[in-house]
Amino acid sequence: MTDPSDKAKEDFFSEAQEIIETLSRNLLALDELHRKKGVDPALINEAFRAVHTLKGLSSLFGATMIGALSHHLEDVLDDLRLGRIPLDDLILDVLFKAVEGFGRALALERDSTQDRTPSFIEGLVAQIRKVAAAPGPQVDTSNEYDIDAGLLAVLTEYEEHRLRTNIQAGLRLYKLRVRFDLVTIDKGLEEIKDRVKKIGEIITYLPTGETSSIDSIELDLLVASTRELDALVLELGNVDLIVEEVPRRQRRPSPERVEPRPIESSQHADGTHPASLVPVQPVAGALVDNTTSLRSVSQTVRVDIRKLDHLMNIVGELAIVRGTLARLADRLRSEGQRQSATDLLRLHRNFDRRLAEMQEGILEVRMVPLGQVFERLGRVVRQISRDLGKEIRLVITGSETEIDKLIVEELSDPLMHMIRNAIDHGIESAERRLSVGKPTMGTIALNAFQKGNHVMLEIEDDGRGIDAQGVLRKAVQLGKIGAEEAKDLSRSDMLGLIFLPGVSTREEANDVSGRGVGMDVVKTNISKLGGVIDVHSEDGIGTKMTITLPITLAIVSALLIRVADHTFAIPLSSVSEAIGFDDAGLRVVDGREVMTLRGTTLPIARLDALLSLARSSPTPRRQYAVVAALGVRRLGLVVDQLVGQQDIVIKSLGKTLDSVRGFSGATELGDQHVGLVIDAGAIIEEVLSASDVGARAARATYG
Amino acid sequence: MKKFFLHQMWGRGPRVQRMGDIVHIASQRVFRRDSSERESIREFLAVMLAGQTYGVELTRIREILSPPPLTTVPRAPQHVMGVCSVRGQLITVIDLRSRLRLQQAPFTRKTRILLTENAGEIVGLYVDEVRQVLRLTDSEIELATGVFGNDVSEHVIGIGRPPGYVLVLLDLTSIVPR
Repeated sequence: MTDPSDKAKEDFFSEAQEIIETLSRNLLALDELHRKKGVDPALINEAFRAVHTLKGLSSLFGATMIGALSHHLEDVLDDLRLGRIPLDDLILDVLFKAVEGFGRALALERDSTQDRTPSFIEGLVAQIRKVAAAPGPQVDTSNEYDIDAGLLAVLTEYEEHRLRTNIQAGLRLYKLRVRFDLVTIDKGLEEIKDRVKKIGEIITYLPTGETSSIDSIELDLLVASTRELDALVLELGNVDLIVEEVPRRQRRPSPERVEPRPIESSQHADGTHPASLVPVQPVAGALVDNTTSLRSVSQTVRVDIRKLDHLMNIVGELAIVRGTLARLADRLRSEGQRQSATDLLRLHRNFDRRLAEMQEGILEVRMVPLGQVFERLGRVVRQISRDLGKEIRLVITGSETEIDKLIVEELSDPLMHMIRNAIDHGIESAERRLSVGKPTMGTIALNAFQKGNHVMLEIEDDGRGIDAQGVLRKAVQLGKIGAEEAKDLSRSDMLGLIFLPGVSTREEANDVSGRGVGMDVVKTNISKLGGVIDVHSEDGIGTKMTITLPITLAIVSALLIRVADHTFAIPLSSVSEAIGFDDAGLRVVDGREVMTLRGTTLPIARLDALLSLARSSPTPRRQYAVVAALGVRRLGLVVDQLVGQQDIVIKSLGKTLDSVRGFSGATELGDQHVGLVIDAGAIIEEVLSASDVGARAARATYG
Repeated sequence: MKKFFLHQMWGRGPRVQRMGDIVHIASQRVFRRDSSERESIREFLAVMLAGQTYGVELTRIREILSPPPLTTVPRAPQHVMGVCSVRGQLITVIDLRSRLRLQQAPFTRKTRILLTENAGEIVGLYVDEVRQVLRLTDSEIELATGVFGNDVSEHVIGIGRPPGYVLVLLDLTSIVPR
């Protein structure tokens, strides 16, 4: 971590990741436009820039796989933006594959030191080269320019291409002279861009070099637009600028606008530089200006989450200082120095408040919008729907909902899986949809919203719904539940069976999903995050999965319990209820203690025996059963006393205690004591595990 | 959020009053510029375990604490005494006596926890008492592999024999399990 080159490398990975995400966003937007038969050259150009940056970065860090990929991809995107090849489905497919490839390559480069380029990269490169080599409709390059040669000389190939395209389309050319304040140039440029975008396209930005003050800069914007001059001025609104139409077929600029230019700035690389319409600086400079200004628009910092944890610990240390302050005030008071004591107490209160604010602030920094995951899911939906030949519309709401960074990271796999299921199992084929009177295009909705201290996530499809009876049959067939038990299940219990390992809603497995290993993993992952998942489904109407997640992993609501003089915390997310009982209500079935809870049988486990806790006093007659639930499996944990509910910060046990099962960590209980946090899932797993060998292994420790 | 904060108020308890006991040994270290000219010197912290004096290398010790309240961990290996919280950080405390198969005795006023870092994890080591820092020259260290039999000797670097002392020098890396 401290090695500077490691840190640089880490920065590279996160930057590369960001670039790839931007690229993916651009492609998705392009794809959407393409389906509407439109195309936005700015998007292609942005994609090109992203890949170009990535190429540079990866060669700097010796990331050969990414380097090779971006090198070839850059060529294709360059051809695209210069109009040498048209954008079609095939190319879009290859581009999306390349984005996937980048993701995989990035993971590989990060984890391993292998030098060999994996075959998938080679395959991808081959595909990219194929589309790049495919001859598109020939663009006429021998076109006569309507524009001044001096202007053309400063344009990049891409800008020239855009200029030509716009002229061919019969658009008018304008030159906008705008003065920007250096401090606010980012905002100013963005504003102008937004306005121009509605009525045309900015072809290039060129600094005039004519700055009267040192705090401002003047830019000439070459703009192509469909509008007349007056309409354009009107459209641009009250921005402080000079608009001038560039006449066609002219050899020299309109006399009144000739700018006296210092010689040195009009020197061009080729040295042959005629009188110019616009002041010239090396084009590369203009481009760099442009990119740097774009970059500084985002005012964000990347921070390692461990640093935030560290800050949180410092807050803990400050809490000690606060305690000392309070004690000092008490002492002063007892010594009769009332005034000082009052002052100190006031200080203490102030400190207390600020400290609380600071803690809240740190927690807030950990929050990231769910949009990060949703974007990736958009790509998945596109990919899978193409693979399966289904038309899918993905509707996302609430992507601005914020949640703990650590949760977001762990969320993408489960969500991806559920989306796959929804497309593959949920949404019917187009013919079938038509025959039942649904639109051929299936809809998947991804909704996120905050509800109190929780974030709710819904994945909804308008497909055929889950065949509850089918799931039940499968579960019985696999021996997951007894045939007798099966008779009593309600519909929602039946649906809950999809979270058992091996149970699938489909008979045949395919490439996308349906091997029946999915939903139980999803459930486990969600519970690891302290979340719960529910499923609702109606035949022929659709399925809705609801995930409830805590907003932050840093703080969890827990039930504090006492058993045999030990205090433990159980996260409330895994507790469904707690009930008092006495031994009279217990029966022994098959060597296992069970109790009857509202007509159903609940297996129980005595926590003191399970954890081999020594008792100094006899077991109280009246005890409590805390009902913990994992999927459809429930277990009553027998405890002596319910202490109450408390928000706790879970800290993981050190490596020395890795082998100890049944605890997910420990927490400070407030009286300097540390309480262990019970991992209800692991305990249920252990107690109810069908194989006793497994249970014994889980219990075994060394030493 | 406020509620949670209250539970972090372990600043009020008696342990913190004793926090003044914490000896930041690093600041007490004496660096000798001319040590290269003489014999090389290693510093050891002399600690008591079941009536015997042991030495642990000073550079490995980050902090010495009066024992905070320990929470025993059910199912943990026998040599783990429990976990405690030191300024917000969760620390596993290992009983050096049990690790060295020595006799156990209850906590006394002299009981201390040494914090040491092992493979990125901070671990607490229980000792009966901390005596002093001893500076040993190479000639005062007797490499004594085999003296205690195979089982213990892997934890022992050697025997230190400064004037007036005999102490068993421990190898913390092998004592603290991975």
